Amino acid sequence: MKEYFGQIWAIAAKDLRVELRTRERVAAMGAFVVLTAILFNYAVDRTVVHPRELAAGMIWIVISLAGLLGLGRTFELEKEDGALDGLLVAPVPRDALYLGKVLANSVLLVAVTALTVAVFALFFQVRLPGNPLPLAGVLLTGTVGFVALGTLFSGITAGTRMGDTLLPILLFPLLVPLITFGAAATADLLAGLPPAESAYSLRILAAFTLVALTAGVGLFRFIVED
Amino acid sequence: MSLRTVRWVGVVLGFLGVALTILFHWQVFFWVPTEASMGIVQRIFYIHLPAAWVGFFAFGIVALCSAVYLWLGEEKLDHAARAAAEGGMIFTTIVLTSGPLWARLAWGTWWTWEPRLTLTLLLWFIYLGYFLVRSSTDNLDRGRKFAAVVGVVGALNIPLIHMSVYWFRSLHPQPVVARVDGPQLHPDMATTVFTALGAWTLVFLSLFLFRYAAARLEAYADRVEAARLDPSRTPTPEGAIVP
Repeated sequence: MKEYFGQIWAIAAKDLRVELRTRERVAAMGAFVVLTAILFNYAVDRTVVHPRELAAGMIWIVISLAGLLGLGRTFELEKEDGALDGLLVAPVPRDALYLGKVLANSVLLVAVTALTVAVFALFFQVRLPGNPLPLAGVLLTGTVGFVALGTLFSGITAGTRMGDTLLPILLFPLLVPLITFGAAATADLLAGLPPAESAYSLRILAAFTLVALTAGVGLFRFIVED
Repeated sequence: MSLRTVRWVGVVLGFLGVALTILFHWQVFFWVPTEASMGIVQRIFYIHLPAAWVGFFAFGIVALCSAVYLWLGEEKLDHAARAAAEGGMIFTTIVLTSGPLWARLAWGTWWTWEPRLTLTLLLWFIYLGYFLVRSSTDNLDRGRKFAAVVGVVGALNIPLIHMSVYWFRSLHPQPVVARVDGPQLHPDMATTVFTALGAWTLVFLSLFLFRYAAARLEAYADRVEAARLDPSRTPTPEGAIVP
């Protein structure tokens, strides 16, 4: 068991080290978040509705789109110089490879999520709740669920001719539960409602994440074997 | 079951299905009583509801065949999954065309975020991805695996999507046919809807068998071609049942 976690960590550490040295994906996603928020400011007529009132839903849309941008690159780098073949001949079970990728992607996307919330708080005067833990829990659960599904599907799209363009078509129909309950819980928490009101939504988000992770662990080996 | 039997069963089911389709259209247009509150437009119901049932049934077959295909790696199961997915796309497309037409007259709007309509639209897109993944993969075998994974993951998420779409308040009528206390319908209406359901189930099964047989023949033709190019390979014994 300890060895298994060591393998997951080795994969994740490798990906994070690559990211730390190039900073490509984080830079792209971070810039995307800030620029989308700026565009959003001009897309909304402030005399009709204040952007703050749409913030909860927009935060989730921005996270999904930024995540799409970053996840699409998960296996692109591995395709260069046959890096993926190297990974596949390593004595690591396929599901550890998947979980390692999920871990690394989650770290990146959680950072981007934090940036998104900060940007919305700064630009649109979104008032963050006094106790940030419930909001952090909702965002973290949702982000990991998104990454779990997105990493599996980006493994598929990397093997097709259409590549990244196919990713939203596969991913978005399945994100309905995530957006529905994620945005609902976020809106309630930003409005200052007690966290107990969001417990139901959080449970569904957790179920979504669990289903996505289980599916990924069980199915990832079918999409990488050659 | 040999391919010849599959095709014969397909022909018989197809004839029965078309005959019943003609019969239920006669029922819909000339025989069944007009519904009191909605009027003539309610007759779309006899097309809309059976199409939805058959579409969901088809996608159930896709999920099942995809999962077992991944498990056993049996090529035939992938043929079956693809054949069912094609049928499912046809019937969900019927649901998605007849639904808005009915909604326009009954509710005064083309589209509402009605749970079952939304779920059908999302299913349509999930299985669009199923076909795109397959057709944009160069390696046939990988394409099959990719599609099967999409089919299984899609099916696993349906309960959660279902919960989400229901969370929005529903304009859609509550179930009138599939109820524990029996259908709450005029008997003639129930007869019509069940005729339509039977007709389209048969049409679907017939299309399914034909597409399945065609996929098997395509795979056989590919193997014959491969054997021609490389004489050390021989087409599998399936050659025996191909004329």
